[in-house]
Amino acid sequence: MNSVLEAIRTRRIARALTGEPITRSELEEVLKAARWAPSAGNRRLHRFIAIQDPLTLKLLRMVTPGMFQRPVAIVVICVDRAKAESFGMRLTAKGLFIDVGTAAQTMLLAAHSLGLGAGVVTSFSQAAVSAILNAPEGLSPEMFVCLGHAAPTQPAGMPTRGRVTWQSLTQWERFTP
Amino acid sequence: MAEKMVLSEDEALELVAFLVTAARTQVDEAAEYGPLRLLTAAGRLAELIAERVSPETRAFLMGPLKQIPDLAVRTTDPASYVAALDAVCRAVGEHLVAHFGLDRTSS
Repeated sequence: MNSVLEAIRTRRIARALTGEPITRSELEEVLKAARWAPSAGNRRLHRFIAIQDPLTLKLLRMVTPGMFQRPVAIVVICVDRAKAESFGMRLTAKGLFIDVGTAAQTMLLAAHSLGLGAGVVTSFSQAAVSAILNAPEGLSPEMFVCLGHAAPTQPAGMPTRGRVTWQSLTQWERFTP
Repeated sequence: MAEKMVLSEDEALELVAFLVTAARTQVDEAAEYGPLRLLTAAGRLAELIAERVSPETRAFLMGPLKQIPDLAVRTTDPASYVAALDAVCRAVGEHLVAHFGLDRTSS
């Protein structure tokens, strides 16, 4: 199996992280990878806020009910709403949020390739996060990529609802009437 | 029964922040996350106070309260989920009776 497929298949969400720090260069490698994520129309409407300060991390966790892990770094993926509007895009346009996902997945794979643990979280108050980060109006935080080193023991993940295979997710050609 | 502080201001603020922001996120999220968030809040409170409470309460916090997995939700197996919640609630009731001495109060 080639290394890309191997990385895709072995990556897992880390919901428990050790307190071991990650280096600035590791964090920069993750951010560099995100720069190469697909972006609708190559518009690059996203901004990343990279955080390693322990107090900021602590406050972000307080307003993020979906964060089970205690990350030593977070990359906040934001949508630049003002820039999106300058392209004539509605702020509900799906491309804005699809690009959040492609950036996140790219960072998850980059982190995995570096031997880091990573997980994404969207269950946070955007208003509270904006206040903590002093984010300018027009920049909306949409997703956290939490980084660190995966703990040896992980909490059980969300249970699967039925067996999922690539075949069960795929319909070939057309649906029959 | 000794009255003592088991939560600092910082810790209390952390819990307030969690609860308030969970109220907001829950507006947009799956309904099944509601109980999950409440249990997470209970779990965080338990972790914050565990070292400052009585041995009996600590045993309750570290025992029955931890029986439901962190990410358990209702839809996978509703009957088992409700049964697990009922078991925790039963343990809550039993601990309250013992902690407040209801079983030692003459009626």
